[in-house]
Amino acid sequence: MSAVVKVTNLTKSYGDTAAVSGVSFELEENKIYGLLGRNGAGKTTIMHMLTAQQFASGGNIEVFGEEPYENESVLRRVCFIKESQKYPQMFTVKDVLDVSALLHPNWDAAYAAELAEAFGLPTKRKVHKLSRGMLSAVGVVVGLASRAPLTIFDEPYLGLDAVARALFYDRLLEDYAEHPRTVILSTHLIDEVSRLLEHVLLIDQGRLLLDQDVERLSGMAYTVVGSAARIDSFVSGKKVLSRDAMGAIASATVMGEASPQERREAAERGLEFSPVSLQQLIVHLTGRQKEEREAVSS
Amino acid sequence: MNVAQRGRTKAVTSTILKDKFSWYLLPWIIAGSSFAVNLIVSIFAKDVITTGGVASLYIYILTAGIMSVSNTLPFMIGFSVRRSDYFWGTGGAIGLVGAICAAGLTFLSYVESEWIDGWGVGLYFFHLPYYSEGSAPVQFLNYFLVIVFLFYLGFAIACLAKRFGKNGMFLFSIAVLAIGTVLSYVMTERGWWIDFGHWLAGRTMLELAGGTAPLTLLFMAISYALLRRTSV
Repeated sequence: MSAVVKVTNLTKSYGDTAAVSGVSFELEENKIYGLLGRNGAGKTTIMHMLTAQQFASGGNIEVFGEEPYENESVLRRVCFIKESQKYPQMFTVKDVLDVSALLHPNWDAAYAAELAEAFGLPTKRKVHKLSRGMLSAVGVVVGLASRAPLTIFDEPYLGLDAVARALFYDRLLEDYAEHPRTVILSTHLIDEVSRLLEHVLLIDQGRLLLDQDVERLSGMAYTVVGSAARIDSFVSGKKVLSRDAMGAIASATVMGEASPQERREAAERGLEFSPVSLQQLIVHLTGRQKEEREAVSS
Repeated sequence: MNVAQRGRTKAVTSTILKDKFSWYLLPWIIAGSSFAVNLIVSIFAKDVITTGGVASLYIYILTAGIMSVSNTLPFMIGFSVRRSDYFWGTGGAIGLVGAICAAGLTFLSYVESEWIDGWGVGLYFFHLPYYSEGSAPVQFLNYFLVIVFLFYLGFAIACLAKRFGKNGMFLFSIAVLAIGTVLSYVMTERGWWIDFGHWLAGRTMLELAGGTAPLTLLFMAISYALLRRTSV
């Protein structure tokens, strides 16, 4: 399996502030990745550096085995849909699609037209006159119809209602099945996209906190619910991500996997186990204190 | 440059020129409105009027060079275009627009001087002494060189602003002002202004327009170097 993206010790600093520090990861071909993290975690900066739109302060980036900066053979295989994308003043939606056709070798004009229709995009309207949701839809259409071997969506759904978002997820999965490519979805609507993701990269305060297959992730933590006293005795000595209590009932989210014996004993004491959703896990991981995060990532 | 790369340069040119109004019509609307005002005045004036109103077209080209960067660069870089392709694609656009403008100006200069002398009312707007000397190809070349020069002057300023931001522009303006003041002082002190004036008067329009070419190339080189380090 060849690496589409290889990032080594990537760093970006603005003066004394490090927006991204020492991030390393590899992305394989034909997988859907989730780049997750809170606002300001450094996700957008990383994607800008991957596409050579911003310059790294340190570290190394390889996309399709080459440095992306001013590299036509890399850039024409990349489509980066970003929330902050700017369009020329006089551009209509049709103009955007026409130019995209010139820039993306795999562009499917018929598919783009069909998607524009599905999202109810007025193709003759000026991009500047579009609502936030419509603007996002333009990005979604370009991103899908480009069929770029590396397609990156940065918060592509802003202003899109639930129906349009579901349409985007469905179309992405459908088209991905027919035309496999590497997709990076940067988002904080984690629950919505969790069914799409195969692998998760979690960025927190400029650092890579987690680089894990989604299947493995679900086994990384669990929640246990029961009477407060019994919960406390059960979790003692374990890595507790969070503990909530409601009257005599408490729930605790615990890092790691409970052994069959532990589960049996706990069940005998009336404790119930439930899996942690991706969103819960991410919230726990990024909402913790610094030292706890370090313990988790080590 | 291979086929794929040419395609991307072409995409930049076509992106810029999609704004047909600003590139094909606005230069003529601006020069045309100046012309219309002068024409009306000429109808009532007793004397022949020779005016430099056509300068409005050139000023417009300068501002177009400035505006072009913020209008299209962030879009193109965001759409996976290389900075060098952006640079050459822009060159293609201004080459075409410059040629159209120069051809139009040459044509109007001929109409004004040869076919309908002074538009029948003694107005000289497109055919001016000194400025319009030479054959049609020479005039075309003169106009073209000045247009491209002004575009790249604006383009280089905008690239500077894009690369170094407001503070960069501020420092640059101060530096230009300071150098200009010192230079002007030295020239006054040494009595070089008179010599410079004589030297200028001795040059033909073609020599002056041709003299912009090295400066145009310099502005292009500066823009290119700035663009290469610009992030969006």
